[in-house]
Amino acid sequence: MNALSSIFGYLHGDDGWNILSGLANTIILWLVGSVLGAALGFFIAVARRYGPKPVDWLLKAHVEVIRGTPFLVQAYLLYFGGPYLCLALGDGSVCLTLEPFHAGLLGLTVYGSAYYSELFRAGFEAIPRGHIEAATTVGFTRWQTLRRIILPEMTMLVLPSMVNMTILLLKETAVLSIISVKELKFQVDIIGNRDYAFVESFTILALVYWALVEICGAVGRAAEARLSRYRFAHS
Amino acid sequence: MSWELFWLLVEASGLTILYSAVSIVVGFFVSAAVCAGVLSSNRPISAAARLFVSFFRGTPLLIQLLLIYYLLPQIGLNVPSAVAAVLGLSLCTAAYQAEILRGGFQSVPRGLIEAADMCGLSAFATFRRIRLPIAVRLTLPALTSEAIMILKSSSLISVVGVVELTTMAKDLASSTYQPLPIFAAAGFVYLVINLVVAGFGQLAERAARRGHA
Amino acid sequence: MSIVSAIRVSGVVKRFGSTAVLTGIDLDVPRGAVTCLLGPSGSGKSTLLRCIAFLEEATDGIIEIDGEPLGFGLDPDGVRMRLPDASLRKVRSKIGMVFQQFNLWPHMTALGNVAEALVTVRGLGRVEASEKAMAQLEKVGLAQRATHYPSELSGGQQQRVAIARALALEPKIMLFDEPTSSLDPELTGEVLNVMRSLAETGMTMLVVTHEIGFAASVASKIVFLDHGKLLVEGAPAEVFGKPRHPRIDQFLDTYLDRGAAGLL
Ligand SMILES: Nc1ncnc2c1ncn2[C@@H]1O[C@H](COP(=O)(O)OP(=O)(O)OP(=O)(O)O)[C@@H](O)[C@H]1O
Ligand SMILES: [Mg+2]
Repeated sequence: MNALSSIFGYLHGDDGWNILSGLANTIILWLVGSVLGAALGFFIAVARRYGPKPVDWLLKAHVEVIRGTPFLVQAYLLYFGGPYLCLALGDGSVCLTLEPFHAGLLGLTVYGSAYYSELFRAGFEAIPRGHIEAATTVGFTRWQTLRRIILPEMTMLVLPSMVNMTILLLKETAVLSIISVKELKFQVDIIGNRDYAFVESFTILALVYWALVEICGAVGRAAEARLSRYRFAHS
Repeated sequence: MSWELFWLLVEASGLTILYSAVSIVVGFFVSAAVCAGVLSSNRPISAAARLFVSFFRGTPLLIQLLLIYYLLPQIGLNVPSAVAAVLGLSLCTAAYQAEILRGGFQSVPRGLIEAADMCGLSAFATFRRIRLPIAVRLTLPALTSEAIMILKSSSLISVVGVVELTTMAKDLASSTYQPLPIFAAAGFVYLVINLVVAGFGQLAERAARRGHA
Repeated sequence: MSIVSAIRVSGVVKRFGSTAVLTGIDLDVPRGAVTCLLGPSGSGKSTLLRCIAFLEEATDGIIEIDGEPLGFGLDPDGVRMRLPDASLRKVRSKIGMVFQQFNLWPHMTALGNVAEALVTVRGLGRVEASEKAMAQLEKVGLAQRATHYPSELSGGQQQRVAIARALALEPKIMLFDEPTSSLDPELTGEVLNVMRSLAETGMTMLVVTHEIGFAASVASKIVFLDHGKLLVEGAPAEVFGKPRHPRIDQFLDTYLDRGAAGLL
């Protein structure tokens, strides 16, 4: 009890409120970033699979660049990139300035999309050819095959890695504090710096993220368990 | 951006590679112990190992690094920040590598171990000659990805003031007022390093695949 | 009467949880001959063989190899007890086993697979082990494939390497669990031929198989297992000849291949 009260003991005034708003921002960034990232990733995967070759190459280059560079460097580029472009364009009439929050969300989405797209691509490839051929022989259109056969099967195949990816994105949101996005770590840092309570604040942060990750993992496992009964239909 | 600046980034990337490589190797040995712990039949040991894996996979590396950086002096260990940073990276990758190894060991077909058993191989010989080499071959792709992950994540040690590629980029960006080309160049250096590592990983896999059913 | 059986199984019971897979098996496997273990799928053939190899521990009963108890023995009061590991290792080293799935170690060449235990268990030098291993590969007709990895060999070749690997340790008894069941018909023949010539050398063999033709022509004893019980045992002519047990009739209807029909 003593240890706990010493951890929380340094909070006062608006601190609780600030932490909550930081947590809310973290969760918004995480969920919106994941959904947009997954959607964009799916689009990339489909475009690479069904689109013309040059599109595939271009998107592959995009995916490799995003996956080959640190998220922190990407965040810096977005953060400094906006104002820098303004300066470079000179007259300031065409100005691309991103709020840190929007820069962070954009960064998460683009970063996530590259990883999600690879995951969907692997999912497409893991679907047995026979299932798709079977759909064609009973007269499904391409769109019907995608919607009725490929998507449901792929959902089951990629669900575990999607959960992992979503967890990864949650952890990456903490990096956004470095480019002054006012998410959870940013808010807790302010208090920690004020009171020289570094170990305490990072302990609390670790515990909060840990709890969120465990919850996300549990939800993922529950979803997998629910879906796994469909798995009997094919094997 | 001048070649001199770019060259400074390239030089700093040597430190990125050094810290990452040390962390991956140290992490591998820690992960072997953690994996043995997770698979152990001793309940407390197994629970402790699982907790370790869960914590280091369940929290942002950035926060692990900061926590270790501030915690070490508090418990009387005044080490250079580079040591704290490498410790953080090592523990984090150890948790991931332990999971990778566990998956590898669990996918060694049981029949291969039974065959070793029937040939009279001791438990230790079976581990050293059969289980370990097969598990490592099965996990090569995942271990390569993890190495790349750590190379990228090592950029986070810039927050505790360790000099490496991202720190250098930050310093140059603020001293030259050219953040965009400098961070783009830093990203390019990371990309090249990772492509090289991925290439080596593929070579290793190809070499290993010859001896694989 | 004084001749000790190669394998003597007495009262062996094997349960997995609450399901009894073997319900009291008594069996003698004669020395220097081939005994074939037949029976429908799920009757417990593999389980019995694996108990004899001590890959599974029987729930009850005693298994003797060459007159020596394997893994479990009886104390002076006649109570079943676990024997020390040293004794288990010694008795078990008399047995070689060949699996349905070959189970060759994928990261070692054919020669490496055969030589491995000679080095790590027998303590032979690399050169000597390789020479011995090579001699075994020659016997199964695969000397030219010595440097190939299992993934570079056909199923039949892999199984012959697996046989060589077991033989290299000079076992007194060879156990085969459906050695040809995962092979194409053309490849089955080459493995059966190796087994035939092994039988001619006087090796004691216990073979689980669905190859009725092989059983009828090579085995001196047929054992028929059904629902975890030993249903019939005897010479092939007794077991396959008429009048037949109705379960064997059923079984033959399912498994009899054209080649074997003439042999019965
Ligand atoms: N490890 C195990 N756990 C639970 N049940 C098992 C196990 N191994 C085998 N069984 C059950 O024991 C029964 C006998 O299996 P066994 O493999 O010995 O049959 P078999 O005669 O070799 O069949 P087949 O011809 O198909 O190989 C089966 O019903 C099987 O499901
Ligand atoms: Mg079987």
